[in-house]
Amino acid sequence: MNEATPQGKRLGIVVGGSLTEGINVKLDSATPIEEMAVGRYVVIEGQKCRFFGMISDVTLGATNQQLTITPPDVSDPFIAEVIAGTGTYGVIHVGLRLTLSGDAMSILQGPQPVKTVPAHFSMVREASEADIERVFGQEDEKHFYVGTPLDMETKVCLDIPEFVKRSNGIFGKSGTGKTFFTRLLLIGMVQKKAAANLIFDMHNEYGWQVQSEEKRFVKGLKQLFPSKVAVFTLDEDSARRRGLSADYIVEIGSDEIEPEDIELLRETLNLTQPAVEAVYQFSRHFGEKRWLETFLKLDEAADIKDLLDKLSVHESSYRNLRRGLAKLSRLHFLVPHARENSVQRILEYLDRGINVVLEFGRYDDLTAYVLVANILTRRIYDKYRERKEAARGDEKAEPYPLVITIEEAHKFLNPAVSEQTIFGKIAREMRKYNVTLLVIDQRPSGIDDEVMSQLGTKVAYLLDNEKDIDSVLMGTSGKSELKTVLAKLEARQQALIFGHALPMPVVVKTREYGSAESYREFGFRDAAELKRKAEEDIKGLF
Amino acid sequence: MQRAKPFAGGLGVSPNFFFSPKTGGERGFINSFVIRKHLVLYSPQRVAEMSLDLNKVAGQIEGMAADLKAEQKDKEAHLSHALEILRLKSNELDSLRKRIENSKTTWLVAGITNELTGSHKSRECPSDFAVIAVDGSHIDVDRHSAARCCLINIGSVVLRYGEKPDAALRSQPALYASRQDLTIADPLGSGEQALERDLLGIKRAVAEAEALAELCEGIPPQLPALALLDGSLIMWGLGGQAYPDYVKRELLENGFLQALNKIKEISQKTRVALASYISFPRSTDVVNALRVALCPYDPPDCDRNCSRSVPSSKKVCEAVDGVQDSAIFARVLGPGERSATFISRSSVVQKHYGDNEVRFFYLKGDEEIARVEFPRWAEERGLVDLIHTLILDQCRRGQGYPVALSEAHEQAVVTGSDREQFQYLVELALSEKRLPTATSAKSRSKKTRWI
Amino acid sequence: MSEKIGEVIEASTGQFVAECYELHSPPPLGSLVKTSDSDVEIYGVVCNAATESVDPGRRPIARGKEEATEEGIYRQHPQLSKLLRTTFDILVIGHAQGDELYHYLPPHPSRVHSFVYLCETDEVRRFTQSLDFLPILLGTKAVAVDEIASACLRQASCAHDDKRTFLVKAGKEVAVLLSGDLNRLNAILRRIRA
Repeated sequence: MNEATPQGKRLGIVVGGSLTEGINVKLDSATPIEEMAVGRYVVIEGQKCRFFGMISDVTLGATNQQLTITPPDVSDPFIAEVIAGTGTYGVIHVGLRLTLSGDAMSILQGPQPVKTVPAHFSMVREASEADIERVFGQEDEKHFYVGTPLDMETKVCLDIPEFVKRSNGIFGKSGTGKTFFTRLLLIGMVQKKAAANLIFDMHNEYGWQVQSEEKRFVKGLKQLFPSKVAVFTLDEDSARRRGLSADYIVEIGSDEIEPEDIELLRETLNLTQPAVEAVYQFSRHFGEKRWLETFLKLDEAADIKDLLDKLSVHESSYRNLRRGLAKLSRLHFLVPHARENSVQRILEYLDRGINVVLEFGRYDDLTAYVLVANILTRRIYDKYRERKEAARGDEKAEPYPLVITIEEAHKFLNPAVSEQTIFGKIAREMRKYNVTLLVIDQRPSGIDDEVMSQLGTKVAYLLDNEKDIDSVLMGTSGKSELKTVLAKLEARQQALIFGHALPMPVVVKTREYGSAESYREFGFRDAAELKRKAEEDIKGLF
Repeated sequence: MQRAKPFAGGLGVSPNFFFSPKTGGERGFINSFVIRKHLVLYSPQRVAEMSLDLNKVAGQIEGMAADLKAEQKDKEAHLSHALEILRLKSNELDSLRKRIENSKTTWLVAGITNELTGSHKSRECPSDFAVIAVDGSHIDVDRHSAARCCLINIGSVVLRYGEKPDAALRSQPALYASRQDLTIADPLGSGEQALERDLLGIKRAVAEAEALAELCEGIPPQLPALALLDGSLIMWGLGGQAYPDYVKRELLENGFLQALNKIKEISQKTRVALASYISFPRSTDVVNALRVALCPYDPPDCDRNCSRSVPSSKKVCEAVDGVQDSAIFARVLGPGERSATFISRSSVVQKHYGDNEVRFFYLKGDEEIARVEFPRWAEERGLVDLIHTLILDQCRRGQGYPVALSEAHEQAVVTGSDREQFQYLVELALSEKRLPTATSAKSRSKKTRWI
Repeated sequence: MSEKIGEVIEASTGQFVAECYELHSPPPLGSLVKTSDSDVEIYGVVCNAATESVDPGRRPIARGKEEATEEGIYRQHPQLSKLLRTTFDILVIGHAQGDELYHYLPPHPSRVHSFVYLCETDEVRRFTQSLDFLPILLGTKAVAVDEIASACLRQASCAHDDKRTFLVKAGKEVAVLLSGDLNRLNAILRRIRA
């Protein structure tokens, strides 16, 4: 224990509890009950080691029940001050997470998961900045500052290389700040060069600047890291209108669309099951590459009936299918044959470690999104698998780690389709082929349980649906405490982050950015600064 | 102070039990009624414990009260008569004085100064004055104790009133144990008297006067002061032939009177007066003067003219029989007034006192008639009014009795437990020196009451 | 060193009685006084004071009907001040030996005729730094024990720079000791609030 650094304020002493259910701490009379917030960190100084935990509940107690029946006259501030903590007292319930022993070995190893409880009457104090830093690490080439714990100024850092080793999720009601945080994480991943990102940007929020709620403009990824980010778009016009010159215009050929892609769109296109089945028939009949084009050109001619009979496709199914697929014709990026191989282009960038943001422009509906994301991901994944298998253990030959960011994840990963989609596969395979997901969703209960359990780290903003909360917390230890914490989050900018990239769950006020200073912290230099820096560098050469 | 527990109802004894032995019949019934009222003060257990059976004496007490009641009427008549004579004779003072001087009576007659019925109001109290009072008590020689000794305890009080009010209260015990202390020896060697019982009481009075004289020395010259003693200035006990001359010399001339002289000397340089206060006096000096006035014989000679064979009803002076001076002056004086001054013609005063001749007046206080005695030199120095004023003032402050005297008494008093403690200390001292502490068998039997 | 204010006339381990040198001038209820027994200084709290006749058999009577002032009574009857005496009772709550303070009863009682001194502010502050004497004070069988305890704490608070902090601290100690008897606790707290 370093006496020189300031310790956190003393709160009280341990009076009971258990490892599984949490420790009860009786607050000292001097500690104001109302300052104890669920989600704050405390340190318990046990006899042999230190315990690190989070407040998960606050209770009121009284030494004499008579006090609750005939309360003392607390309008008198003197009596109120005396009674607080003596006749009446507060108890906080602390969920233990980590232990820190005092010996050198543990200091090297860092905090360990907790296996026992502190002795009776151990002193409990607020976690100090030094404590937080020791647990979560400081900002360095691996740790990215994502936010501050409740009522503290310490920086909570996420281990980014660790983070990208598995698929992760960001959840929360709309308006809570998911997009903001995703952008933040992407910046982190770019900054720490941990992985290349492919972002399927449905609402054009990541690549270029967007207007925040306060009517300010927040810089997008391309603006912050121009040399490291490429913006692809499906809608050139949209990009131009917003002052962005896209690096590539993506076209999807209808010869690239397979029946599985259509199956994924069943709900979105309102297709019946037989209609979906019919697609397979048509594909077989017309050939993999041409079936869609041919289908779309089919007239309302009599020979259709024959065709339908031959393929044993019911007419109503055919009409259903026709109606559904007609929507596709509105997608102007869908051409019979793409002039270039978009996947190839994307891969070229990703290989160089350049992140790709695919904007959807005006095609911000689910049909386009699911279709394009699915097709491209499938292709890219195949390529990755090939490369990984070809490398056969040679690290240098392996493809650069890739994180695919998708929104509305429940559309891709709901129990009905998660078995079949590429995303489900990626999620389950973990990082077998160096590809992981970053899923963003506001209805996590819609996502397959198995997939949820595969997510390494989860960032949960406020969720008010019990089912959503349960699904996010599934499989996590200390679930009941975290549930209370999750339910008490503020409406915006407050998230519970837990999982493999953190030693223990933490409630943070997510990091703000949007000011010039914050940009500078990301390493962004504006033109003038760059010039100055360049001059300095040149000077330094001689 | 232990109180008996009251209880309701009688004792369960029949009324007829309480027959008065003197008068029976109806009176018995009245008695029993009254007795019952008194007896409710005692619970049955208490009555059984007492060795004095109040039941048996109650009747006698009642009888006494009844007799007194009967006598009252006669007394009233005598008193009126006495007042009458007083008034009549107040204009014939010279002749009365001459008569008194020539009379030979068996009873003590007051000497007349210059008036008989005068009553004097008190003067205004001085703003600054002092009152000195001394009282004493003693523990007599215990015959049954192993060590012969006695104790005289003198309590003294000096009270200052006025600008600088102050009080000094003190008690000074003296142990008399040596042979010289315990006897009065004839310097000619013809005998000695043991200092015990009455003689010890006289010795005590001497000690009181000596202490008073000593205190008077401390009085500043200009301050009016009263030196006060309790009881009479007349040493009755030393009159007559009770004690040999050497005793009288030691205690009177060289004792009491020497102290009075000392105070007289002090008084010559200061404004100190000396007096003594007698509460509830039963003296009849002045009434006896009226008897002399009434006596048909000239000069009155009781032995010759009214021998024992003459029945009392035949004596003219019987008309004022039973009247005390206090009764007379109760009628004559107004509140706070004093009577004329009279002279004590007791033999011991006339023979030995000289300048200190005891004179007296009667004073009507708020509560009672008191007799105040003082030496002649005090009257000659015009201090009578001061005495009158200050005594009245003291009585007012003391709920009817001079407060200095009552405080002096409190300082002097030796309680029963004090007495026991004293004896205990004596025995302790003896036993420490390994002296025998055996007491007499009688004393032991008194101390432990056994069955 | 403060002036002596009285003399011990009765002593036992847990309490002693002292007579004042000045009539009608006992130390205030609850104040801290000290006396000694050889090299041990005994500290106590004044828990009662009485003025009565020196002779138990004599009782004062009202004398002032004609007087305009109370001083007038004493002027008219100067012997009164010699016949009355003021005594005060002290509850022992601690002792000191050398520089060490102990908040429990001393091994021996004080001696009769020891002088009694009123403790000065510094001493009071030093003694009341610890409130360990409260159990003795609250547990005594004296009449009006709560009044005495409250008076003691009020007096002691005047010796501290921050009166309120001291009283709150004392109040909390009392609250812990009297957690089972809220009426007593309330009574005391109402009497010590600043």
